[in-house]
Order: sequence, then C-alpha cells, then structure tokens
Amino acid sequence: MSAQTDIRPATLSSGLTPDRGERMKQLWHKSTPYWFMSPYIIIFGTFGIFPVFFMIYLSFHQWNPVAGLQSMRYVGLENYVLSLTDPMLWQTMWNTFLMALYSGIPQHLVALPMAYLLLLLGKRARHWLTTAYFLPYVTSTIAVSMIFFVMYSKESGIINLSLAWLANGSMTQWLFGWLNNLLPLGWVQENSLIRYSVSFVVFWKYVGFNIVIYTAGLATISDELFEAATIDGANAWQRFYHVALPLLRPFIFFAVTLTIIGNMNLFDEPYVLTRGLSQASTNGMTISNYLYRIAWEWLDMGSAAAISWILFVVIGVFTGLYFWFFGRRGLGGH
Amino acid sequence: MSMKNRLGVSLLSLGLVGSAVAADIRFDGFPDYDSQLNAILGGFSAHEVGMLMNEHGGHHDRLKTNLATGSGAGDVVLIDRGMVGSFIGEGGFVDLTDWYAPIADQYADYAVAQGQAADGRQYAVPVDLGPGVMYFRRDYMEDRGYDLDTVMDSWDSYLEYGRQLKEEGVLLIGDAAAVATAYWNFNVEPGNGLYFDAEGNSLVTGPRFKRAFELARQVRDEGMDANIGEWTEEWYAGFREGRFATQMSGAWLLGHLQNWMAPDTAGNWGVSHLPDNTYGTWGGSFLAIPKQSSNHEAAWGLIEYMISESIQLAGFANIAAFPAHTATYDNAMFEESIDFLRGQQARLLFAEIAENVHPVNPHRGDQIAESLIGTALEQVLNDGMDIDRALANAEQQIRRRVR
Amino acid sequence: MNFPSDMRVGRGTLRLISKALLWSALLAGVAITIFPFLWSLLLATHDRSTMFGSGLQLGIGTELLNNYDRLLSIMNFWVGMFNSFSVAVLGTVTSLLFCSMCGYALAVYKFRGQNVLFGMMICSMMLPPILTLIPYYMVINALGLTNTHLAVWLPFSINPFGIFLIRQYVVASVPKELLEAAKLDGASAFRTYWSVVLPLLKPGLATLAIVQFVFLWNNFLQPLVVLTSTEKMVITQMLRSVQGVPNTPWGALMLGTFISILPLVLIYLAASKQMINGLTSGAVKS
Repeated sequence: MSAQTDIRPATLSSGLTPDRGERMKQLWHKSTPYWFMSPYIIIFGTFGIFPVFFMIYLSFHQWNPVAGLQSMRYVGLENYVLSLTDPMLWQTMWNTFLMALYSGIPQHLVALPMAYLLLLLGKRARHWLTTAYFLPYVTSTIAVSMIFFVMYSKESGIINLSLAWLANGSMTQWLFGWLNNLLPLGWVQENSLIRYSVSFVVFWKYVGFNIVIYTAGLATISDELFEAATIDGANAWQRFYHVALPLLRPFIFFAVTLTIIGNMNLFDEPYVLTRGLSQASTNGMTISNYLYRIAWEWLDMGSAAAISWILFVVIGVFTGLYFWFFGRRGLGGH
Repeated sequence: MSMKNRLGVSLLSLGLVGSAVAADIRFDGFPDYDSQLNAILGGFSAHEVGMLMNEHGGHHDRLKTNLATGSGAGDVVLIDRGMVGSFIGEGGFVDLTDWYAPIADQYADYAVAQGQAADGRQYAVPVDLGPGVMYFRRDYMEDRGYDLDTVMDSWDSYLEYGRQLKEEGVLLIGDAAAVATAYWNFNVEPGNGLYFDAEGNSLVTGPRFKRAFELARQVRDEGMDANIGEWTEEWYAGFREGRFATQMSGAWLLGHLQNWMAPDTAGNWGVSHLPDNTYGTWGGSFLAIPKQSSNHEAAWGLIEYMISESIQLAGFANIAAFPAHTATYDNAMFEESIDFLRGQQARLLFAEIAENVHPVNPHRGDQIAESLIGTALEQVLNDGMDIDRALANAEQQIRRRVR
Repeated sequence: MNFPSDMRVGRGTLRLISKALLWSALLAGVAITIFPFLWSLLLATHDRSTMFGSGLQLGIGTELLNNYDRLLSIMNFWVGMFNSFSVAVLGTVTSLLFCSMCGYALAVYKFRGQNVLFGMMICSMMLPPILTLIPYYMVINALGLTNTHLAVWLPFSINPFGIFLIRQYVVASVPKELLEAAKLDGASAFRTYWSVVLPLLKPGLATLAIVQFVFLWNNFLQPLVVLTSTEKMVITQMLRSVQGVPNTPWGALMLGTFISILPLVLIYLAASKQMINGLTSGAVKS
C-alpha cells in the first residue's frame, strides 16, 4: 500500500494560519475519502459485521442449529482442538490446495496470452471469441455437471473413447499403445485421477472470466506505447512481454488474488463431480465440501465455524505471502 | 400461442397469484408434493393453504436455517426419512402425541416409531413410505433358466448368481456399494439402532458391517458391478442398455424406471424381497409442525387431512407416494398387476414389506456415522484398504464427532 | 525473430501455416466452451425419456413447444425472470456506483484506517457463504427485510471483488496529472470522481457489471432462505424448486435453464461492447 497516489489538497501544507472557514474546509477535505467509503462502511456495518462476530462466537460453542439459538453450549477451544487433530481436515485442505494449483496456474498461463492474442485479431473476432470463451462462466451448473459426467464416463465417455482410438489407431499406436494397459480410466471414480478431472472443469469454467479481466486491463494501455515499441522494431511477442505484461501487473495481481481466494473456497465443481457413493471423494473433496458436510449434514455448526477460521488463517497466510511478495508492484500504480 | 401471448398470460396470472396469496397456513416441502397438494386441496376448505416448494436439499437447508433462527418456517413441513432422526429430538417441533396417539395404530408401526424422539413423544408423523425391494431383470432371471427363489435364498447365492451372469456378460448391479448399504441397513439386530446400540456405543466394527463390506468387496473385486455412482447419467444409461441385472431400492424406483430411466425395458422387470428374506425401507417422508408456527390447530388440521385414508390413496394414485395408512392396502388398487413388471402384483409385496419391517431406533449421530461409513466403504472398494482398518478408522472418527 | 531477407518466401508460408494453426486452436477452444451451452439447448427439445440415452444425445428432439407449455404450467416462469432481472439490475447499478466510489477512494487517497478497510474487504471474501447463511438470515430478519428483494441485492452491492477491481483499474488507467489538473480547475472531489474519473473507468465498470450481474442472477443460497412467496421468487429458485426426485420434468427444466442464461449472454454482449470501445487495437495490431 506504500505507493498510494497522494493528492491531498495543497491548503493542508500551506503555511497560512487557518481561520475558522479554512479549518472547516480542511476538515471537509480530510473527510472526503470517508465520504467515498461510506457505502462500504454503512452496508458492511449493517450486514457484514454481525456474521463475523457470530462466527467467532460460534466457534467456541457446540451448536446443533436444528435445536435453535438457545441451545448453544460453551466448549472453549474444543472445536479447534477437534478440528486441528482431524485427519479429514488436513486431507481436504491438501486436496483443495492441489486442485487450486492444478486449475489456477493454467488459467492464467492461458488467459494472459489469449487476451493479448485476441487483441491482435481485431475487433470483431475478439468480440465473438471472448463471448464464446466466457460462456462456461454463465452456463448453468446442471448442464455443466451433466455434460462432464457424460464426457468422463468410464465406458462410453468421449475422453476414454478418444484415448482408446489413439491407442489402437494404426497411425498412433506406436505412440499411445501403452494406454491400452490403463483403459478404461475412471475419471471420477479413481482417487488418482479425480483431482485432475475436477481441476479441468474449474479451469474450463474460469479461463474465459480471466480473459475478460485481462482484456479490460489491456484497455488501459495506450496505443502510443505499442506504436513506439513497434517503431523500435519489437515483434508481437516482444510487445506482449515488454509492454503489455508489465502494465497488466495490477490486473494480474487482482486476478491471481481472486483465483487464490476463489479456488481455496472451491465448492460446486467437486461437489457435483463426486456426488454418489462410489466416486473418489477421498481425494476429490475440498475443504468447503467438508465444511458443508459438517455444518449442514452433521449439524455441528461450532466445529464448522472453527474450521472456517482455520481455513481463513490458511488462505490469509497464502494471500498475505502473495501480497508481501507481489503487493508493492501489484497494488501500486504510477 | 405466440411468445408474446404467453408472456401476457403469465403476467396476468401474476396478478391473480398476488390476490390469491391470502393463505393462512403454509406448507413447506419438496416435489412431488406440490402436485399432490394441488390435487387434494380442493377438498380441504377449513383453511387457505399456501405452498413453498424447494428441491430436496434446498428445502432441508432452508428448514434448518428456520429452526436455527426460530423464524420463517411454514406451518406444516415435510421431512425426509433421512433427516427425521436428527430433527425431532431437538425441541423445534410441536408435540403431536395427544392428537396422533388415538389414530397411530392405523399407520405402519415402524414409521410411527421413527417419528418419535427418545422421550417417546411423537414429533413427526409418517405420510409416505419407501418399502425396500430387489428389482431384477426377468430376462436375465427366469428367461435364462435361473430360479428366483434359489438366487434370493441367501447373500451368497445372490453373489453366485452374479458370478454366473458375469460369464454371460451381464453385471449384477451398477454399484457394489449398494449391496453393502442394503446389508447393514436391513439386518439390524433387535434392540439396536443402525450404527449405535441402545447405550449409544458404536456398532460399526461389529460383524454386520464387516459382512456388508466383505460382500461389496467380493462384488467389486470379481468385476460383478460397473462401479457407476447411483443417480448419475451413466447409471441411467446402464438401466436403459440393460447392463445391470438387479438393483435394490424403494418402491418408488418403479416410477422412475417406468417414466424416464428405462421405459423401453417394460416387461423385463420384476421385484422381490432382498436375499435371505430381508425386508427394509428406502426413504419415506414425514410431516411435522414447527413450534414457531402461529397456528398449530390449523396445521394439524392439514396433517390430519393429508394422512386420512382417502387422501393417502389419492397420493398413491397421483404421485406414487406409498401410503403410510395401512388400511389402504386392502384397496383394489393394490391388486392391480403392473405391466412394466410383466404383470406382477408388486404392490401387494410392497404392502407386505411395509407391515413387516421392524422399527429401528434413530440416534442423533446417525448422519455422521452414515457418511463416515460411506467414506470407509469407498476406501475399501476403490483404494483396496483393509476392511478392519477402514472400519476401525471410521469408528474412531465417529467417537470423536458424536459429542 | 529476425529472418534474413532471402528467407522472405519461406516466411510467408510459415506465416500462413502458423495462422492456420492459431485459428484451429482458437476455434477448438470455442468448440469446447460453447458445446455445453448448445447442448443444453438441444436437451430442451427432448423430454426426459429421450434425454437420458446412452452417451450424448445429439439429435434435435420434437418436444420444444411441449416443454415450453410444461414450463409455464409448473412455475410462474416469466415472473421469476422478471424478479431476477430487477434484482440483478438494481444490484448491479448500485454496486457500480458504490464500488467505484470506494475503489476510487482506496486508489487515490491516503487516509487513516485505509489499510484496515482494505484488509477487511479482502478477508471478508474468505468467509464461506455456506456458514454465514444463518447469521445473514438473522440480520435480514431483525431488519424486517424477509421476503424483500432488497435483502438479496443490497448486501452484495459492496462486493469486495468490485471495489478491488475498480481500485486496480483507477491505479492503472487514471493519470495522476489529470486529477491534479481537475483540482487546479477548482473541481470538487465528487465532481472530479463523477465527470473526470468515471468516464475513464468504462471498461472496468463494464467488467464489474458483467461479473455482478452474473453473480446476482445465479445466486441461490440467499434467495432460498429469504424469499418465500411465489411472486417474489427469483428464477434460480424456481428452476431448482421443481427438481424433485420422481417427476422432474427435465425437458422443461433444461428449456427454462437455457432461457434463463440468455439475459446473461445479452448483458455480456452489451458490456463487452463497452469494454472493447476502450480498446483501439489498431496500433497493437500493426
């Protein structure tokens, strides 16, 4: 936060003795940022603060929600002890972390150059291509889960069928023949594969979203910069690497922060893909799925609150480290 | 009708809905009970009944929020059999004993017992049941020369049937896990609960669970199942293509198979009791009145109407909700032969099961134990974990979690 | 890549090949992303008995009109659409205003409590909504906002995501000199924000509008517990409420789902125009 643009009014630093009117003016100037912040302060104060304190309070109590508010029982640190020594917590945390990596890193490695590439292609192509890439973000979870279930199907899924075709085709056999030993692969049944299967769906869903963020970011870069680079003899790749990338930093920072927080809270995709008893939930369950199970199926809201604070600390550490290493460049501007 | 007209019509109906909302009691539930209520409310003139329907999971999460905060619930709520154990003992519902006790003996005993909390009071009353049966393909059974009674004689003979089918390229079942669940659910020792004994000690390392896990593992390891999760698109396709010879489920599965899962397989199916003459139940629903309701009398009026003999029969006809009212089983409807099951009088079997199931005491830890045992089963079937170790792990987790 | 001049001809073909490769990769990407969307349209032309066949159903069914009639008979579909629309529009417009105000303040001012506020925002993104549902409901209930649309959009109008996005956008696109010039001209702080900064933020605001609209439109959890009467329900709620076990009219449901996505696509197309107007790609392209 060190690189803030400081545009405090000049009157503040002028050496004149402030009279009453000046003082009022000063006060007014000083309060300006708070006026701008007031929507957040008021609305967060009304709707956001209470849930936070409620969750802190809850994490020290045992509470079955079905029994009503009056049934909370103080248990001290028991919820935290119970959760920290719960092997499932660490298993699901690890699952979440791995899936966040598998889906998060490719998202940005694809979205960044893609946004730039779309820029090169001209207005109309960009308009329709980004629209197409953005569609997964709005397509309903029902349709998405149905289609991926069908695609991941062990016997008749298009993925296994294509792999089998590659493994047995006369042209490709020498390269893919070894696949025959593994097929058919249980993409959502086997614990060794489930994380990749879930990560792919997440990647698929959010890559277009990131392209949109980066496209908006590219809009802030003025033409002259690219022109100057072109005159200096930079090719498209060099213009991307030396002009676009550094100026996109605030957006990369923003989008990656969002991916970290969003992926650590991953819920829908693994929930849908590991439904049913015989799916690989050991490796496919995220910490949010586990939280849901504890809070709403096992009706142990206290433990769930404790876990959510543990998760909060873990995400906080990741985000904090990220801010620490990249925040100076990512947050500051001019 | 053009798009514009339809839009107009529905906007018009918005106005109508707005004026008709002066309901004095509200029913919160999940489909298909909306169809049932729409069909029967004409006969209930004492009160104006409103409806709030949500999909199964959403309905229960919403109800939990309402119970937690003491506000927002309907006057009559529908509760799934799976949740009823964890809901009723916690003080959020009106004690219905005084109203219900005089008529309780008209309903299936085991279901009535499920609606009672540990204090012996009735907090929820059964409205429909889910008698559990074995669905089997007749074209893989008698048409191929197998004898149903021999196959269903014991679990071992059932597995033996699976081995022979495998030779012929047919799978015994979609998901081996269902064999284990059926076994531990329907072989509960008298006096015990599903996962806990009367003193609240965990039973999951006992012989019932060991045997259940062993059966499922044999099915899986010998390749008699497809390893396809239930209620997935692949599972439906399996039924359609006739890949599975059997499936254990509630009486309600019949409607699914017939209507959309595998309508083309009509005439190839039959139902029977489970191996070793086991009876059990799969699902079922209850009605209850949240304490926060301001009109308990009116709410009970609606419940009483919904569980009355004629309405129970109507529910069976309208939405295939199997009646909890046992006098309905004498109705001619139950003797109808069902073409989808090659003319079998299956409803008589359902009724027989409903009347013969033994009550199992619910325990507040059932939900926790159920999902932990599910995880253990998955570890055994998919990751090859040792059964004793998986069960011991599960028991340790259950002890920690059930506080 | 500096090719010697005698390779010019080869370079031309190379260009052609790489262009072909590029386009086939781009279009393959389109196929993968657009397929589920079109597939849900295909499903909307089936009824449930022809829908769950083996593998993918790629034929066009004949049930489209029947599904539409069924859809209207099981829910007040257009009421739900209208409610979703009004919630999403109100929520989006308000959040454009609020988020841009806050994001602007965080980007250009230095004030006491700034880091605390910013930290709070980032942190509040980390609390899982499935757990804050109960206290959220308690607040709404205490304020007497149950069964109002206000309850499902106002709390989200200060979306930390949006504030953060606008903050970054101001940092990247509003030159300091411009703000100083505005001040020298004697423009008030609010005037500077309104007529100098906001116009520059158009692409950023368009992005936020898309994200916020999609979020409000797809949101299910809060409407589920708050909205109780049919004339207030939003479309996600209505579509989910008919997913019962035995009789789910899947064809009608897929049709409803497909129609319910269309406004999102339209909003995207409209906002994307705004985003692209901020880009003049001529120079980049050359």
